[in-house]
Amino acid sequence: MISKKATLIIAALIVISPIFGVILADLVGYHEPLDVAAEMLGLTDITEQMNWTPFLDYTVPGLPATIGYIVSGIIGVSIIFLIGLLLSKFARGS
Amino acid sequence: MTMHIPDGFLDPITVTFTYGLFLIVVAIALRRVSEKIDPNIISTMTVTSAGIFVAQMLNWTIPGGTSLHFAGGALAAILLGPWLGVLSMTIVLLVQCLVFHDGGITALGANVLNMGIINVFVGYIIYRTVIKLLGVKSSSRTIGAILSGWAGITLAGIACGFEIGFSPQFPYGWQISVPVMGIWHAILGIIEGIITAIIITYIGKKNSELILAERGV
Repeated sequence: MISKKATLIIAALIVISPIFGVILADLVGYHEPLDVAAEMLGLTDITEQMNWTPFLDYTVPGLPATIGYIVSGIIGVSIIFLIGLLLSKFARGS
Repeated sequence: MTMHIPDGFLDPITVTFTYGLFLIVVAIALRRVSEKIDPNIISTMTVTSAGIFVAQMLNWTIPGGTSLHFAGGALAAILLGPWLGVLSMTIVLLVQCLVFHDGGITALGANVLNMGIINVFVGYIIYRTVIKLLGVKSSSRTIGAILSGWAGITLAGIACGFEIGFSPQFPYGWQISVPVMGIWHAILGIIEGIITAIIITYIGKKNSELILAERGV
């Protein structure tokens, strides 16, 4: 079944994600492309001044960046699956 | 090739206008989908959203201090059709914004408009057109998906350029921001097109019934 396979692929991608999202990014000093553009264009990013989440930029308080990134991936995917579950309950109910 | 606009970039008129469009289109999408809702399609949509969310976490770093990642709007459009595609991308963008502060709350309307609506509809129209012109076969899937991924990202980038360009904070106006964002995303869009094509060509060989855009959904 494709969704079982897809779920396995998603799990594997979460595990390797810090290689791309954290380790390589730190190596070369990564910035979001839009942040770079914004800097060139003279705009200011006020994200840190008005933050509402403990998981800002895929980090988890108290965890090292790599582990935090994996946990963030699991949190994000779990919430998406929960939304999907609610939607399909709603679909069955209607 | 991310283009999540943070808070502080957009002026109140652009915020209002983009939120308005976002809410109207998502309301239409929810209505159209709930008319013929199918739990199996909801699970395909959920897996697509989860896959795109994770794929967006894989930043391919480019020496020089920037990076790109797969955006997924065209992929969602080809797999799910335009309305489910819009919902799928909206779920990803909502979770990114609300849980991880990836994209500002004032910019949520604009971010959904660019990546969840413009990217999805452009991607869908291009893929459908290519399939209609060349017929349903593996080579047309590859060509359709490349063009769809490329054009979707490029137009979403141009839309993003307009939104930022209208901001009074931005000193040069859209005449500068639109070409900057457009050209940039037209280059990065080539990679988006290639990744979309690899995934769609593979699914086309293994489970072509999953490609809802070919069924005229």
